[in-house]
Amino acid sequence: MENDDEYLIKEYLDGNQNSFKLLVEKYTPSIYNFSIRFVGGDYVNDIVQDVFIKVWKNIKKFDNKKSGFKTWIFTITRNTITDYLRKKKMVLFSSLDEDEVSFGDNIKDEIILPDEALIKLQDKELLNKLLDDLHANYREVLILYYQEEMTFSEIGKLIDKPLNTVKSYHRRALIKLRELVKKDEF
Amino acid sequence: MEQNLQKLFKNATYSPEGRLSGDIWNAIEYKNAQITKWKRFGYLGASVLSLFGSAFSIKSLIAEFSRLGFYDYLSLAFSDSGVIATYWKEYTLSLVDSLPIASLAVLFFLLFVLFISIRRASYQFKNRLLIS
Repeated sequence: MENDDEYLIKEYLDGNQNSFKLLVEKYTPSIYNFSIRFVGGDYVNDIVQDVFIKVWKNIKKFDNKKSGFKTWIFTITRNTITDYLRKKKMVLFSSLDEDEVSFGDNIKDEIILPDEALIKLQDKELLNKLLDDLHANYREVLILYYQEEMTFSEIGKLIDKPLNTVKSYHRRALIKLRELVKKDEF
Repeated sequence: MEQNLQKLFKNATYSPEGRLSGDIWNAIEYKNAQITKWKRFGYLGASVLSLFGSAFSIKSLIAEFSRLGFYDYLSLAFSDSGVIATYWKEYTLSLVDSLPIASLAVLFFLLFVLFISIRRASYQFKNRLLIS
């Protein structure tokens, strides 16, 4: 996948305009899905467009030795969202208390989200509603890990956090999700 | 659990309107066309300015050569080669001394700008022709 992206970038830089168009088509759904969860539906199209224009302007600066294209484009997306929310005077990706983050590290995966909770989460509207209720840092880790299939290491690069912190965010996010499912029952 | 969660999350993605990627591409093409247009005019302007600058610089360079006596030293080389063979060191130094270095540097710089801007402008025009 990453090799495909690098090939398309190389082709584009060699003068094949259509290669960049293919990159836009490939990543628009992912960038849209990620962005809408933080900025809502009204401005999401503008944000996605802004992201691709930044990518187009900076494509020559992309260095595949530093990170993959997917990590790079999501970093640009995250920064664009942060800038947009800063203009709206909102703080989204604030740092979490590390003590709070390490809470739940000893709990087994099966206990974090039992089968009953998973069954409830099959309702996609409920899942999206509960994701909206999560802290932005937890939400982004879950989206990037489960929807974008990024590794913890890639997520760490993207959000500029050490690997263990990302793993803790992930675990804590699942625990919060379980709490929200329980709350929703009552 | 991980695979189940992956399925659940994949099922809950938000999808953009079908035309979004097309709109984005159109916006990029529009910006590209704007930038290319400005670049084309910029290079064309630089070509014209450096062309006039070079012409003016050549004119003043010729005057400088006469003023500093460069032609006199040069003609000496053809009229009295014996003197030059004897005093070749002094002759070379005088010849170099009579060169209008600053004017030459300005002319080379303008010719360099002219060359680069013509090359870039022709590349931009060629691209435009290929696209249209």
